[in-house]
Amino acid sequence: MANIQHLYWRAGFGLSPQQWQEKKDWPISMAIDDLFLAAGKKVPVKGATTTIPKKRLSDEQRVALRKENEKKVRKLNLDWVYRMGNPQYSDLLERMSLFWHGHFACRSRLGSLATAQLNTIREHALGNFRSLAQAIAKDVAMIRYLNNQQNKKKQPNENFARELMELFTIGRGNYTEQDVKEAARAFTGWSSNLAGNFVFRSFQHDYGKKTFFGKTGKYNGDDIIDMILERRETAHFIATKVYRYFVNPKVNASQVQQLANVFYNSNYDISRMMRTLFEADWFYAPENIGVKIKSPVELMAGITRDLNVYFRDTRSLLFLERSLGQVLFNPPNVAGWPGGRTWIDNSTLMLRLNLASYLFNNASVNLRAKDDLKASSRGKAFKRLAAEIDLEPVVEMTTGQSEKAVFDTLCSLFFTQKPKLDQQFIHQQIKATTPAEYVGELTLKLLSLPEYQTC
Amino acid sequence: MNRRNFLKNSAFASTAWMVPSFLQGFSGLPTYQSRSGKILIVIQLSGGNDGLNTVVPYRNDIYYKSRPSIGIGKDKVLRISDELGLNPAMTALQSLYDEGLVSIINSVGYPNPDRSHFRSMDIWHTASSSSEYWSSGWLGRYLDSDCQACQSPHHALEVDDSLSLALKGATHSGFAMSDPRQLNRTTSNAYLKAIGEQFDHHHHEEEVAYLYKTMIDTQASASYLYEQSKVFKSKGKYPKTPFGKSLKQVAELITADTDTRIYYVSLTGFDTHVNQTNKQGRLLQQYAEGVKALVADLKQHHLLQDTLIMTFSEFGRRVQQNGSKGTDHGTANNLFLIGGSLKRPGFFNAAPDLSNLNNGDLIYQVDFRDVYASVLEKWLDADSPKVLGTRAFRGLEVL
Repeated sequence: MANIQHLYWRAGFGLSPQQWQEKKDWPISMAIDDLFLAAGKKVPVKGATTTIPKKRLSDEQRVALRKENEKKVRKLNLDWVYRMGNPQYSDLLERMSLFWHGHFACRSRLGSLATAQLNTIREHALGNFRSLAQAIAKDVAMIRYLNNQQNKKKQPNENFARELMELFTIGRGNYTEQDVKEAARAFTGWSSNLAGNFVFRSFQHDYGKKTFFGKTGKYNGDDIIDMILERRETAHFIATKVYRYFVNPKVNASQVQQLANVFYNSNYDISRMMRTLFEADWFYAPENIGVKIKSPVELMAGITRDLNVYFRDTRSLLFLERSLGQVLFNPPNVAGWPGGRTWIDNSTLMLRLNLASYLFNNASVNLRAKDDLKASSRGKAFKRLAAEIDLEPVVEMTTGQSEKAVFDTLCSLFFTQKPKLDQQFIHQQIKATTPAEYVGELTLKLLSLPEYQTC
Repeated sequence: MNRRNFLKNSAFASTAWMVPSFLQGFSGLPTYQSRSGKILIVIQLSGGNDGLNTVVPYRNDIYYKSRPSIGIGKDKVLRISDELGLNPAMTALQSLYDEGLVSIINSVGYPNPDRSHFRSMDIWHTASSSSEYWSSGWLGRYLDSDCQACQSPHHALEVDDSLSLALKGATHSGFAMSDPRQLNRTTSNAYLKAIGEQFDHHHHEEEVAYLYKTMIDTQASASYLYEQSKVFKSKGKYPKTPFGKSLKQVAELITADTDTRIYYVSLTGFDTHVNQTNKQGRLLQQYAEGVKALVADLKQHHLLQDTLIMTFSEFGRRVQQNGSKGTDHGTANNLFLIGGSLKRPGFFNAAPDLSNLNNGDLIYQVDFRDVYASVLEKWLDADSPKVLGTRAFRGLEVL
């Protein structure tokens, strides 16, 4: 039971009460098959389109276009969080996409480009890492974000080439500054047009010989990616990141090596590596359970499943993302969200701990999210989290149970590892008079525990 | 009982009950030492303040040629040197300058400047170079490394609802609070206090224990700061804006001898692409009047010698105005140090060189990390390489 919760929290965003009842006694292998099966049914995200104006825009038109695009990116963001929180979508596909979104971190301001990038990531999220890396190198949002537009034969811009190696594939210490320069030359002319499509501008491309990783040839960008992936260090770098994200922020060297070997030997098959991970005994070892601090988006997706939350006003959701420090399509920088304890400070923690009670009470929250640096003045404090929750499933699944049994049931539903607080203590804090109220109040109390912030 | 003892005792009385006994006397339990060292107040002007219209080179022809409609006339600037004058909205700052309480460092920036607000602010907050991505802030790392005597989270306080990257370290972070009463209300939830009391450090997984500890520390700091906020009420003339209120809050906490050494306050709205003059003027006036009121409060309580106010913005703006009576994102900028213990009041260095630009932008002369190094070494008694990650920044003779 605990193993199933652990699996679904790491491979997805936890289980709703109904899902939990259905799956709690499944053998792990059956659950893993189910996760991969569902992830295979990829449905592209319906995109926002952006009309690219032909003529030069006035300042007012520019501002209007920017606002329209910000709205589209926001919608894409909120639709995604909705999918993560909703049992009808594939847990594993959304989870893997979120992982790669943090890995190939990119700030997108154009709705169409953000949509295209997300679909690229979804397409390859469980496919082949080589194809994913190649697709990202031709992804227009990324090209613009990392200035490959400006990477031309006469004036190379190293930004993309550097991050490709440092953050996306092989990691620091495995290449020289000269390698960065030569790789940048190989990506010259990889650009985009006004309509937002990838174009190869051959007149800006440097067709000359490059010396990369000690070999010399007339390499292009795809060759460079191939050469980077030839190195075992790349498999190791990605496996380490996967391990930290899916297993434990503290790395176990031999377990990482096992993943890296599978990854490299399968020619960078992401599914193969992930299956190995979820099937490994060590994945379910006690030292790997409940050791991750949920990211804000994970927290929201999880609580949405637990309480069947419906945000009547999507601004509430966006407010939470901003206040808790994770706005999708808007990572702090190209290195992505650092995660772990960096999610936590006094203000984010209190908001996290009070989140369930705000949702229960439709409470007003007198907080301001940090301002956009472009803002003309201080924004208004957010007043009310307009959301509905549905406790019916939780009440139903505990009907007729003793108070002790209700406590145990809800603990195994909400936590991957049972909190250390004893039932009697929490029981004393509850003032409810009817069984249904009791379950509601107990749910609120459990979701307010610091333990609920981990998975 | 004198005031200081009273404060100490009341703070202790209000927090001790919620802290498990095994935690007392070790770990991060605040001991509420009275202030012994100096105080740093950082003011962030968000959006990229136009430095050339803040400190105006009023004898420079290039300046007036580049800014035909937004250049500030010779007759209007508040002259503070033969070459440079303040924006006319800053009379309040001029008086501080005349008293020898202001140092202005021109052309502060960093190599390969980034013109994105977000990225450049990141660079200023983390003190990384423009090609590196760091996930902790410079003040956060100060708390991590050098601040053994100051384990309480409110040692560095941001007057805001959320915490800036600058104050986030790897192991320690600052504290965010905009309204002490409200914060105390949200943290003093009876249930959260009860579970804090139940918490047993030895039986918890590390991350869970970290969350409990942060929660308990937050409750303790919130209640302490709430008590502190009631000790002294300033009658100073602060602007009636959120920024003015924040500075007043800072003055009141400092005067109450609060165990906080670093304060962080922001003023937003400097991204003046369109019709800059009035917009920037209003903000600069707010800034100058707020700082003047703060300085007056501190002076009255003989605390100005122990206080340093540093003001920065993520970048300056282009020398050439744009087509909308505004300015676009630029590079190097001026930085203000204000306080009663400046080594070099006045201008630290020469006016920006408008005849030698890089693609129309100022070329930095002083690396902002040298300013940080000075603040860390000379003001906070810290070992700056520990915080900045290198000995390359030796600091400036300003403090």
